[in-house]
Amino acid sequence: MLSRTADNLFWLARYVERAEYLARIIEASTRLANLPSAYAGTSNEWESAVATAGCANLFFQAHEKATRETVIDFLAFSPDNPSSIRSCFETARTNARSVRTALTGEMWDAINSAWLELSKYRASGLNQDEHLTSFLSFVKETGLRFDGSAYRTMLRSDGYWFSRLGVMIERADNTARILDVKYHVLLPDAEHVGGSLDYFQWSAILRAVSALTAYHWVYKESLKPWLVADLLILNDQMPRSLAACYESIVRNLDSLSLAYGRQGPAQRSARAIRTRLENARIDDIFQSGLHEFVSDFIGENNRLGAAITQQYLT
Amino acid sequence: MRIRIAHETLYTYAVPANAVIQTLRLTPRNFSGQHVANWRLDVDQDCRLDAHEDAFGNITHTFSASGPIQSMTIRVDGLIETSDTAGVVRGAIERFPPGLYLRETDLTKADAEIRAYAEARRAKAGNGTLSILHALLDDLPAGMAYDKDPTHASTTATEAFALKSGVCQDFAHIFIAAARHLGIPARYVGGYFLHADGTIDQEAGHAWAEAYVEDLGWVGFDPANAICPAEQHIRIACGLDYLNAAPVRGSRHGGDGEFLTVKVRVDQAARQVQVQ
Repeated sequence: MLSRTADNLFWLARYVERAEYLARIIEASTRLANLPSAYAGTSNEWESAVATAGCANLFFQAHEKATRETVIDFLAFSPDNPSSIRSCFETARTNARSVRTALTGEMWDAINSAWLELSKYRASGLNQDEHLTSFLSFVKETGLRFDGSAYRTMLRSDGYWFSRLGVMIERADNTARILDVKYHVLLPDAEHVGGSLDYFQWSAILRAVSALTAYHWVYKESLKPWLVADLLILNDQMPRSLAACYESIVRNLDSLSLAYGRQGPAQRSARAIRTRLENARIDDIFQSGLHEFVSDFIGENNRLGAAITQQYLT
Repeated sequence: MRIRIAHETLYTYAVPANAVIQTLRLTPRNFSGQHVANWRLDVDQDCRLDAHEDAFGNITHTFSASGPIQSMTIRVDGLIETSDTAGVVRGAIERFPPGLYLRETDLTKADAEIRAYAEARRAKAGNGTLSILHALLDDLPAGMAYDKDPTHASTTATEAFALKSGVCQDFAHIFIAAARHLGIPARYVGGYFLHADGTIDQEAGHAWAEAYVEDLGWVGFDPANAICPAEQHIRIACGLDYLNAAPVRGSRHGGDGEFLTVKVRVDQAARQVQVQ
C-alpha cells in the first residue's frame, strides 16, 4: 500500500472520530449550561467546551466571549476552525475521495451523504434545543455509520488496520482531553465532595463518553471521582478508555508488523504505553498527580501518532 | 523476537482422583521487555478458571474439579514478542519495596558454605553491587554441574550447593541465597527460555533470578546459562522462591499413583526485521 493511501485512510478515520467527539462536547456542555447555576457552579461551560476541543487560542482570536451561539458556531460550522465539525467532514470527504478505491461502497456512501446533508444545517437554525439535538445526533450517527461500515465491510488488511489506528489514536486523545480539562473536578476536595455540583460534573464527564450506564454496571456505586477516572483511564472493558484504545492500537500495529515482516519505534512505544496503562493503579495515579499523568499521556499519544506517521505514512 | 510457546502438563492417576484443586501461575504480564500478543490457558476438566492476582502481582488461575478423574491436562499456548533490555526489568508490577526480597525462605537459606562463597565473590569483585552480582553469575556454573537427576522440586539451595549440581531452579536459589546474604534484594523468576542451539522440545520451563540494583532497578540474572536475560527469556511469575512462582501447585483427594508428564515447546515464530 502506498504511504499516501495509508495516510489518507488514517486521517479519514481520525476526522470522522473527531467530528463525533465535538458533537459529544457540545451535547455535554449544553446539558451543563442548562442547569441552574446553583447546581452547575459558576464556571463557564462554553469556555471549557472550547478548551476540551483544544482550540481555545483560535477561538478567542475570532470571538471575545464564549457563549452558546459563538461556541456552537465555532465548533460546528466555522470554516476558519480546521477542527470544526464542518471542516472535519470536508477534510474526511476529500481524503475519502482520493482513496475511493481503497474504501468500500458503504464507507464512501456514509461520508459522502454526511457531507451533502451537512449543508442543510445552519448555526442560526440551532438556537432551539430540539434542532441542536437532531443536528448532534446526525453527526454522531455519521460516526457510527462510517465506523460500522468499515467494521462490517472492509477487508482485514493494512488499509483496515491503518484506519483503526486513526480512530483509536484520536479517541485516546479525546478521552484524555476531557480528563485534562475536567481533572480538577475529579480531585478530592473536602468542601464539595458528594455535593450536587460534583454529581452533575462527573456525570457530564461520563455522558460525554457514553459511560454513565457502564459506570453503574462496573462499580455498582454512586459516582466517585477516582472511580470515574479509573473507568476512563484503566478499565479496558470500557471502549473509550485509554487502556481500551491502546489495547486496540497495539493489536493493529502488531498486525501491520506481521504483515510487513518488520517492526519499529511505533510498535515499541505503543507497547510501552499499553504496558504502563495495564500495570498502573488508580491510587498511584492520584498520588503522583492526575493532571501530570493525563498531560504526559497526551504528549505520548501525540508522539506515537508522529512515530506512526514517520514509519508508515510518509 | 517473536516466540511461540506450547506447554502441556498431563496428570494421570492409577486410582482415579476424587477431587483436584490447583493454582496456576502460567500467564505472563507485559513489561518493557515483553509483549503478550496472544495467550490461551486451557484445562480439560469441567471447571471454572478464576483469574486472580497474587501478592507479588502475578496472574494466577485457580480451579477445582471433582472426579473421578483419570487424567487431566493443563495446556498453555501463547505468542510473545520480546525485546532485549540487557536484563533490566522496567514497567513490571511492583507490589512491594525491594527490601522485602531480603527475606530468607526455607528454599533459599544460606548456610556457612554459601555465605563463604558469596563473601569470597564479593572480595574478588570489589564494591559495586552490579559487579558483585556479575561475579556471582559468572562463577556459579563453573563450580556446579547442570544435572537434573540428583535434585527435585523441593531441594533447597544448601542441598544443591553441597551436591555441586542441580537444575536452573537450584542455580537460581543459590544465587538468591548468596545475593541476600550480601544484603542485595533478590527474587526468583519462573518462565520459559528459547535455546540458542535450536532445541525446541524441552522437559520443563526455565527459572532465573532478579536482583535489585540502586539507580537501575530490578536486573535479571540467569545463573544456569551464565547470562543476563535477553530476548530468549519469557518472564511469567516472580516471588521469594520457587514456591511463590511455581507454574502449577495444588492438591488432590484420592488419585494414588499420580504420574506427571510435562511437555514444553519454545520456538521462534515469525522473523521480523527490527527498524530503529
